[in-house]
Amino acid sequence: MRDEVIITGIGGQGIQLMAKTLALAATRAGLQAMLASDFGGEMRGGPSQASVVVDDQRLRSLPILPAASSVVLMHHKHSEFALSRLVPGGLALVNSSVADPAAIRDADVVAVPALDIARAADAPNAAGFVMLGAYMTLRRLVGVTALGDAMRELVPPYRAQHVAANLRALEAGAGAVFAA
Amino acid sequence: MTSTAPARQLLDGCAAITESAIAAGCRFFAGYPMSPFTGLLENMSRRLPEVGGHCLNAESELEAVNMALGAAAAGARAATGSCGQGLALMQEAIAELALNELPLLVVNMARNQQDYFQATRGGGWGDYRTITLAPKDVPEAVEHTQLLFHLADRYRAPVILYGDPLIAQTHVSVDVAARDFDPLPPKDWALDGTSGGTGHSRQIWTWAMGKVSAPGPGPDRHWRAVAAKFDQIAHDEARSEAYRIDGAETVIVAFGSAALFAEHVVDELREDGHRIGLFRPVTLWPFPAADLAAATRDARRVLVFELNAGQMLDDVRQFAHDRDTVRFIGGVSIHASGLSYGPLLDVAPIRSRILEAVA
Repeated sequence: MRDEVIITGIGGQGIQLMAKTLALAATRAGLQAMLASDFGGEMRGGPSQASVVVDDQRLRSLPILPAASSVVLMHHKHSEFALSRLVPGGLALVNSSVADPAAIRDADVVAVPALDIARAADAPNAAGFVMLGAYMTLRRLVGVTALGDAMRELVPPYRAQHVAANLRALEAGAGAVFAA
Repeated sequence: MTSTAPARQLLDGCAAITESAIAAGCRFFAGYPMSPFTGLLENMSRRLPEVGGHCLNAESELEAVNMALGAAAAGARAATGSCGQGLALMQEAIAELALNELPLLVVNMARNQQDYFQATRGGGWGDYRTITLAPKDVPEAVEHTQLLFHLADRYRAPVILYGDPLIAQTHVSVDVAARDFDPLPPKDWALDGTSGGTGHSRQIWTWAMGKVSAPGPGPDRHWRAVAAKFDQIAHDEARSEAYRIDGAETVIVAFGSAALFAEHVVDELREDGHRIGLFRPVTLWPFPAADLAAATRDARRVLVFELNAGQMLDDVRQFAHDRDTVRFIGGVSIHASGLSYGPLLDVAPIRSRILEAVA
């Protein structure tokens, strides 16, 4: 079992926390994970991207992925690199509240209106966790509970008030798509 | 927390090197922030006090390396670091450490591969060298950190860990545990801070003159002994890795992260039927000269890939079986921020440079 995903979007959307949550949950579950981040100096609005590779064997991976089996696209801006690395027919999970899924070619496109779902779950800042929940339903690397535990571990004490909303978003996202 | 980290953590390279250093018994660190080294200083400043150690945020790299020199002279397992720009400032102290036979780990969390000459030739005065290990990824950086502390103590010399932004910032699942090495001699040379009488009061270096009652070897014998020690290290401590070298007509030579990418390209090209392999110097100094000569004996071409204008190239030309087979396929490639690698460190450009060279 091996999974390579590039999560891409703009700074402030929670790209780095999503990626770290996935990598930590996989590590805690006894899998091997690699997380390589790439983001600009801006606090918000600049390019933000993270590559996560999960493997149940000894992990060998380049920190700059030559190819990825899936892409999670939080925003169309700055997404060129991630899409250029997606293998033909790979999974493109698209935040359709912001980006246009029809613009993506040669991929298995799954549209998730993450912002709308997050708002409905009373978690308007947690669209990223909606996407991560949906991604786990499709890829089944770890359970939603494991993601929740990893998120709880990563959120700093001064952000603890957001944990409950993040958990609601993960659950709502996991229920928003159907496993193949 | 205990000094030995729990099994299987998700750590970036800076955190992983910190845990490895602590597991090796490092209890003193001093540094001055500079990207991508800053993460190491931050981790050290958080973790060392938890295990009874000390970490000082110095006011400059000069101050940091000389603080670490002092801790090393007092017998502590000590370390400092920066990126290549900061190590440039530290050169005088590194030479003093080498010539006064003091062990110290210097981490060059470099921005790219342009510090090969700095690491392998040095910029201080005198006849000295610095053992330099260049890990290809975070797990190897963890291993090298402990090995370097051991080698520093064994040979009483400053040593360099040559990292980069990918090693500093990539998170991986790693197990950090203390490794076992052969026993080391006691540090009976360490200063004790007394005001006299012990022979180890406050100064290590007295031109090796000793005392009137107990004369030392003097500078000539001392520096000849130091030079002989580095000859011995050159003979005994070279390390390298040959990857898919059997029957290879083309041998790529690369170090550090560049070698990790080259390894991937070698796998791809082998799949396409190319007879190609990779030679990786693990120690940049001592350069694995004999291993390179053996690995390139049957090669039609030796292609050097490094992210600089051609520095290791000098050593490859010097030690390859046939220097006329050596070609350079690397180059300077810097990220727009100036703080990391540019687009040349990627599978597609490496692959196309190799294919161009073998055509």
